[in-house]
Amino acid sequence: MKRRVIAAAIALTLGVTATACGDDSGGSGDKDRATDGKGKTLTVWIMEGTNPDARPFFKEAAAAFEKKTGAKIKVEYQQWATANRKFTTAIAGGADQVPDVAEVGTTWVPQFAETEALVDVTDEVKKSGLSDDLVEGLKDAGTLDGKQYGMPWYAGVRSVLYRKDIFEKHKIKPPTTWKELQDAAKTLKEKEPKLISFPVAGGAEMFAAPFIWGAGGELAEEEGGGWKSAINSPEAIKGIEFYTGLATKDKVSPAKVNTWTEKEVGDAWKKGEIAMSISGNWTPKAFVDENPELEGKLGAVPIPGPDGGMSRSFLGGSYLSTFDTENKELAWEFVKLLTTGEFAAKWAEQTNYFPGQNSELEKVAAKKDPLVEPFATQMLEAGATVPKTESYGKIQAAQVVPGMIQSIITGKSSVKEAADKAAQQMDDIFAKDK
Amino acid sequence: MKNALADGGQQAAARRPSDTAPAARRRSLIRLTRPWLLLAPALVVLAGLLLYPIFQVGKISLQDWEVKFGGGQGEFTGFDHYGDLLSSELLWKTVMPNTVFFAVACVGLTVVLGTLVALLLNRLGTTWRAICSVSILAAWAMPAVTGTYVWIWLFQPEEGMFSQLAGALGLIDPATTNWFTERLPFYAIATLNVVHHGFPFVAITVFAGLLTIPRELYEAGMIDGASAWQRFWKITVPTIRPVFLVVTILSTIWDFKVFTQIFLMPGGSGANEEVYNLGVYSYVQAFGQDDYGAGSAAAVLLTLLLLLITVVYIRTLFRQGEEDL
Repeated sequence: MKRRVIAAAIALTLGVTATACGDDSGGSGDKDRATDGKGKTLTVWIMEGTNPDARPFFKEAAAAFEKKTGAKIKVEYQQWATANRKFTTAIAGGADQVPDVAEVGTTWVPQFAETEALVDVTDEVKKSGLSDDLVEGLKDAGTLDGKQYGMPWYAGVRSVLYRKDIFEKHKIKPPTTWKELQDAAKTLKEKEPKLISFPVAGGAEMFAAPFIWGAGGELAEEEGGGWKSAINSPEAIKGIEFYTGLATKDKVSPAKVNTWTEKEVGDAWKKGEIAMSISGNWTPKAFVDENPELEGKLGAVPIPGPDGGMSRSFLGGSYLSTFDTENKELAWEFVKLLTTGEFAAKWAEQTNYFPGQNSELEKVAAKKDPLVEPFATQMLEAGATVPKTESYGKIQAAQVVPGMIQSIITGKSSVKEAADKAAQQMDDIFAKDK
Repeated sequence: MKNALADGGQQAAARRPSDTAPAARRRSLIRLTRPWLLLAPALVVLAGLLLYPIFQVGKISLQDWEVKFGGGQGEFTGFDHYGDLLSSELLWKTVMPNTVFFAVACVGLTVVLGTLVALLLNRLGTTWRAICSVSILAAWAMPAVTGTYVWIWLFQPEEGMFSQLAGALGLIDPATTNWFTERLPFYAIATLNVVHHGFPFVAITVFAGLLTIPRELYEAGMIDGASAWQRFWKITVPTIRPVFLVVTILSTIWDFKVFTQIFLMPGGSGANEEVYNLGVYSYVQAFGQDDYGAGSAAAVLLTLLLLLITVVYIRTLFRQGEEDL
């Protein structure tokens, strides 16, 4: 018995020294052998569905990583719909249950960071010389109180997607102001009654947000260390009024769309039922893949501002973050491998998302693809993030904004009533978290 | 309880004076522990899977509970969550009415439809009975998720079969009707779904009950000139009343805690507050807003409500039994 204790103590000491060595070599900038991971396996959680088939990509990445460090990679694929709960459960379970590396949606970063499960990698990012090259809005989304919790991996943004063939047929110009957007939708409704001119999808928060931002409003504002809702400010209401008015006054969005989420809008695109909508930069290729008839018939423009310019649009994406496990140094190496250079570019290309580094993003924009460039412009010049607090995740989970939009477009309440109610709900949640 | 058993042991010992005292004690010990030993496996499973979670939910409902790395952190807040819950307008105006009326409608329709189908099965010949039973069982065997999606699909605005039918008959304007956004049509569709999924259980159980009723009773009734209606109410119902009580209790429990069928419907997962029921409300509170305390309080409320209903039913059941004696 005693002997076993001693043996364990020795093993422990050896282990600690070994990790310490790893630390040293990493710190001294040893490039070839950053961290020795022989015999170790990193558990990695990746979201399913971003890349149509992520398996070959990760096989390649794992091979490269094993060559570099000797450590193996075990990828476990997660579903977006259930992942947040799975993460929460694992975090409550502690270091044994969380993955070493995980893809974390940008809006989840505050929530997980709050639990102290994520590793603050600010210094590592600086040391690697990466910090200046990160897309600002994206870097910002995962940085709280000056601490960065992971590396931006890929990002997406929504702009206006439209049917080029139909616009040309009826001589409609892609909209550059809200008025033009409204006129285009009304003309489409008249000329193409079988198509949905512009879906005002009740379940899609990120369809509504650009109009709030575009009118100069905010969802919520930081105020003296806390957050306060701003969704019922006069500017925000103007934006909501315009957006929902498309459904209630101009009737360019039929009733069936009232409960749609982005998924249903996407399905309708694939069936060729939509003439124009807000849509993500990753969607055009997916639509064409599904419905080859759409090939060459799609066009995109940034979401217009009320009188020209652009409305800001939600810049969302994923971080690769490391969890506070005993393998965190090794995990950081893997994060660096995936989020920079060859693998970052390859991932962006395979998924149709944008990479999280300016240098890579500029390469994409330079290709001048008409279905990519408008989105890249939107991302570089008019990207926005939702309020960066753990509470906003809860506000999203409670579907405050979709609830507001739905109650307006179904005629249950006026814009003002619905916005006041949403503001109240937001403030209740903010108050709870103080 | 313990004393009573021990007394019993002593009495037994007293009756057999030849026994030595230690042997008697051992026997009483065995008598005391044997039932519990036999029950132990089931109790351990129940305790692990049911009692412990219930205890935890109860505990969390009294706390502000927060997820932290390596475990949760709770701060005791007494009955605050219950206070908030019971004083919220949403609970009394939306959540409770939705839960209760929906459950009452579902239980009523399920039991009535199930009974009618059971009576039909009872009258059919072997072949038709087999065909009917199989089709009923298919409805029962359908997973709730699949079934819900089929109903959603049928009532889909514009494209759905029922929407097109109603549109063709001029009852609605398909372009402006979305049944999922209004409370009543939403719950009507959910009721169809739940009744369709739940009636086979009632039908099969009641049918099994019907088989136990002696034919002579009906023959006697017919000779006395009782109509079919009278035979049903005076013979069938009283004879298998316990069966009706059991299916009603179980249906009530199931229909009160319906979650999947609501949550999966468009707008049912939280965007439309008007269609919250207790299950969805508790889920959104706990897992959506990470307010585990408030979510647990709602879950405890649901549990208490069900316990209350079950107690009332079971008392009725036992009183019924005593009357029969």
